[in-house]
Amino acid sequence: MTVIAADVNVEALVIFAIVLSITLVITYWASQRMTGATVFWAAGRSISGVQNGLAISGDYLSAASFLGIAGLIFIFGFDGFLYSVGFLVAFLTVMFLLAERMRNAGKFTIADVLSFRLRERPARTAAALGTLSVAAFYLIAQMVGAGVLIQALVGIDFSLAVLITGVMMLCYVIFGGMLATTWVQIIKAVLLMIAILVMSVFVLEKVGFNPIELFNRAKANTTAESTFSLGPGTFLSRPIDTVSLGIALVLGTAGLPHILMRFFTVPDSKAARSSVVWAIFIIGAFYVLTTFVGFGARALLGQGGVEAAGTGGNLAAPNLAQFLGGGDGTFGGDLFLAIVAAVAFATILAVVAGLVLSASGAVAHDIWSNVIRKGRDSEHEEVLVARIAAAAIGALAIVIAIVGGEGLNVSFMVGLAFAVAASANFPALLLALTWRRFNTAGAVTGVLFGVVSAIVLVIISPKVWPGPDGEGGALSFYDLANPGIISIPLGFIGCWLGTMLSTERGNEREFAELRVRSETGLGAERAGVVA
Amino acid sequence: MSTPPERVDWNAVEQSPEFQELIAARRRFVLPATIFFLAWYIGFVLLAGYAPDFMGDSVYEGLTVGYCLALTQFVMVFTLGYLYLRRADTVYDPLAAKVIEQAVGDPYADRPAAGAATATAPAPPAPTAPPAAPANRGAAR
Repeated sequence: MTVIAADVNVEALVIFAIVLSITLVITYWASQRMTGATVFWAAGRSISGVQNGLAISGDYLSAASFLGIAGLIFIFGFDGFLYSVGFLVAFLTVMFLLAERMRNAGKFTIADVLSFRLRERPARTAAALGTLSVAAFYLIAQMVGAGVLIQALVGIDFSLAVLITGVMMLCYVIFGGMLATTWVQIIKAVLLMIAILVMSVFVLEKVGFNPIELFNRAKANTTAESTFSLGPGTFLSRPIDTVSLGIALVLGTAGLPHILMRFFTVPDSKAARSSVVWAIFIIGAFYVLTTFVGFGARALLGQGGVEAAGTGGNLAAPNLAQFLGGGDGTFGGDLFLAIVAAVAFATILAVVAGLVLSASGAVAHDIWSNVIRKGRDSEHEEVLVARIAAAAIGALAIVIAIVGGEGLNVSFMVGLAFAVAASANFPALLLALTWRRFNTAGAVTGVLFGVVSAIVLVIISPKVWPGPDGEGGALSFYDLANPGIISIPLGFIGCWLGTMLSTERGNEREFAELRVRSETGLGAERAGVVA
Repeated sequence: MSTPPERVDWNAVEQSPEFQELIAARRRFVLPATIFFLAWYIGFVLLAGYAPDFMGDSVYEGLTVGYCLALTQFVMVFTLGYLYLRRADTVYDPLAAKVIEQAVGDPYADRPAAGAATATAPAPPAPTAPPAAPANRGAAR
């Protein structure tokens, strides 16, 4: 078995080793400060607004944002940019509706907020189901993406690449918890911003720092078989698919457990809101720069680069970096390629660590500590169970990614994660915080409606059952690529229906308490001690 | 702790004019801002879906209507984010502090000296911040 291919990129291996060493030093540092559950899941609430803004960016900008969107713009043009707009505008939903309230009313997980005034065990179980579904789909997508990219960029075998990613991710989470994960995410965000900024400057330098000239050259560099266009309609050819995806993106972020969990790491709601604004500016700048990389790849690599860019154009950005460094076979070219590969690897590590941490919270804090042990366990036990849960979840993700292999469609899995987040977690959370009448039955029904409808609609979608002609689905009655436009309303309807059909009345006093706490921060746990 | 939140009369606080003022002030900004940003975004998505030719029209050479409208989304997010942050710091926080003061009395009572909490925080807690409270009840049960 050849584990390392003959064309292994030595520069990339060296830079990978440097990045991994730095993150392991951070993990060791964090493990020395691991005093309990608050450090494990919330970094002792010691993360400042700026730091959390960077960490949110590091948590959010996955390889799909970096390599995926640059590749989509390279191949399809404008339609790739549609994703960026949705991913960014989503943060207004997070900021206006959830960020500060989560910080004020919750402790470690979104279930803390959901179960605040509802019956503890069913509400927590439902929230944990929503969290685990989103984390599972997102995690497997990222692991498969990591394997494919590292295999292509560095020349390490797919299975080994998945294994390395999984083991590193588990190291951060098990030994360093949220404290290590936060700093891995901050470092990744800084590396990623530097990489995309340098690439953009190099690209713009080729066109005399005139973006319009960049668009002109990108357009000129197409041939008859190109799918590239400066306008929409090339990647998402059916209008209803564009709209459905757009809605799922703008509401999905507000239901992503690993993003919402970040708001528990800051000292107060003031820091929570400033961290969203920092994240907005960092992520917004990133997405504008991605267009320079995507259009730059089209302008400089042209139609001839399409085959080398692989499925979905994921390798367009690394190939562009190699070109900007001097081209294939030159030292500069190999070095640039190696740096971008290492940044992409760091990008994936930071995201998967955040996902595993949120999943371990759902298993240990919600299911084990509060549902099974009914809050009678010690903090020590809770953290121990969290570590075991993280190891189990991580091992499962590694196995599924290796068995499912390179054939698993990454963007399909990410789309599913966003759809579940928008349809199950978002409606239940929003209504728990704002609707006085809302009750336990409503939360459970809403989460179930959201999870089941999103998954079923994706399973019967044309992506899974492509029609004989490759156009539309095999199932004539349903052909939506993204289920959002149906499953999100179903999530809200589930919440409403369950509430109305149940005889349980919402607890008035507890709603008043949740409302006052979430709006003012009265009684919220403040910063702990991280030496 | 002189007045732990467990002894706060939550219904009374929720009914208090101070709390109602906070809710109304926040809603005056957040509700129209949310309607505006969702409308502007969904309008953009609808145009991208149903009017691809218009979105592909050139404004100047290779710069298209679609790209310009996408950039307006970025400007909108930056502007609304900044405006909300400024209003929250200058309007909502003082109102929330008033609510808390009404609810728990003197916020300085038994307050431990600013310690580790502020060492890594971006700014020292507001002078009217609530006393450090025991673990949240949502998770304490």
